[in-house]
Amino acid sequence: MPSPILSIRGLTRRFGDFEAVARLDLDVAPGERVALLGANGSGKSTVLRCVAGSLAPSEGTVTVAGHPGGSAAARRLTGVSLSQERSFYLRLSGRENLEFFAAARVGRRANAVRAARAVEAELELEEIAAKRVDRCSTGMVQQLAVARALLADPALILLDEPTRSLDRAAVARMWGAVDRRPAAALLIATHRDEDVQRCGRRVELG
Amino acid sequence: MSSAEAPTRAGARWLPRASIVGAFVRRDYRIVRSYSRLWIFEIFVGSLTLVTYYFISKTFGAVPVANLQGAPSYFAFAAVGVAITTVITVATASLAFQVREEQLTGTLEALTAQPVAASELALGLAGYHFLFGVARSVLYLALAGLVLGADFSQASLVGVLVCLLGTGIALTGIGVALGALVIVFKRVEALGAILTFGLGLLGGAFFPIQVLPAALETVARAVPTRLAFDSVRAALFRGEGWGGSALGLYVFALLALPAALWLFGAALRVARRRGSLGQY
Repeated sequence: MPSPILSIRGLTRRFGDFEAVARLDLDVAPGERVALLGANGSGKSTVLRCVAGSLAPSEGTVTVAGHPGGSAAARRLTGVSLSQERSFYLRLSGRENLEFFAAARVGRRANAVRAARAVEAELELEEIAAKRVDRCSTGMVQQLAVARALLADPALILLDEPTRSLDRAAVARMWGAVDRRPAAALLIATHRDEDVQRCGRRVELG
Repeated sequence: MSSAEAPTRAGARWLPRASIVGAFVRRDYRIVRSYSRLWIFEIFVGSLTLVTYYFISKTFGAVPVANLQGAPSYFAFAAVGVAITTVITVATASLAFQVREEQLTGTLEALTAQPVAASELALGLAGYHFLFGVARSVLYLALAGLVLGADFSQASLVGVLVCLLGTGIALTGIGVALGALVIVFKRVEALGAILTFGLGLLGGAFFPIQVLPAALETVARAVPTRLAFDSVRAALFRGEGWGGSALGLYVFALLALPAALWLFGAALRVARRRGSLGQY
């Protein structure tokens, strides 16, 4: 196995007395796709949050290409779609949101606009991106969340139940975009067999 | 290597990238613009305060101006109070409000998953309000001088702008610290209101601090807003003598802003440890 882009060692996360994740070890190689499986509350989202850096592990380590999980270097390499319902600026259009998050990733405005337009075109989101987010359906917002995770071609993509509200065409577009990034590693939390079949490895939690 | 340590490094960028802060400013401008005529009402509210002090001043007619820091009238003195209080409010309470909004809308966690340093996040969230606040304060002073007859004939324009900018930068440090408290404790509106009110009152927004009881006057001499009022009034009413207070403001900014940015980064680390970034 080539050196992993993601390395998790002894990851444990507790919320008070509740242990959401217990001593998880996981390596993910560049280009590899790993499905996180498990019942509701089994810790799938918690693992993704620890890798994304929005949640600190209680114990253990997470590294992304050797950088500590949550560090600026690790976040630069990681594209994230967590719980998407409340993570956009509802008064802005999808395009304005994508441009803002792209700027947060790539800095300069021209590069940000280019990155946002590229992913918008790739996922065929022109119509959705033109709407204000508070006028989009759940599925539309979910497509924007996937687009945000793909901005600026991250080396590691984290997706939390990305296909839950998507129609078939949107699911196909999402997987098409992942297929066009053969070097990117994917860690996906899902309950859908169709997603699991697209992954080379499964990790059962809980 | 623990990822619990990682955000320390993530927050270690002390010189924020202008492109990132600019992206936040554009975003907030677009959000404000989406609320029809919101900014007009915000400007109008301050103008009403200004007009209120205009009539209060007229009610009492000519008053002794010896203690009014060179102001030719009480209205001119209070006009500076209105302008600086606007900067105080936007630089402190508005940033805390902005952080709170990010919590409520759920975007704070999404933001912290991006490769944005804590200093960029803090200054980005403050950026639009800072610029709009300084612009509003300039507008209120122009309104006071051009429409309501305050005498600013001795003013040093450069001095006023330098002092207003210094005020905004210095007080943004306090605002960032307040934003850090919002990240950890969530509801700090009351503290923000007390802080805003106290900084204005004790700094000498609407009366000279010499009229305060001795103990309070001592406290008032130590608050950074006194430097703001002193410097802007000196620049507006005398056109000179503002350099010392302005320097004090910038020194305060130099100390307070890095400390506040560190505090903001520390607050994010606490929230990551607690798992509360996505909570409100």
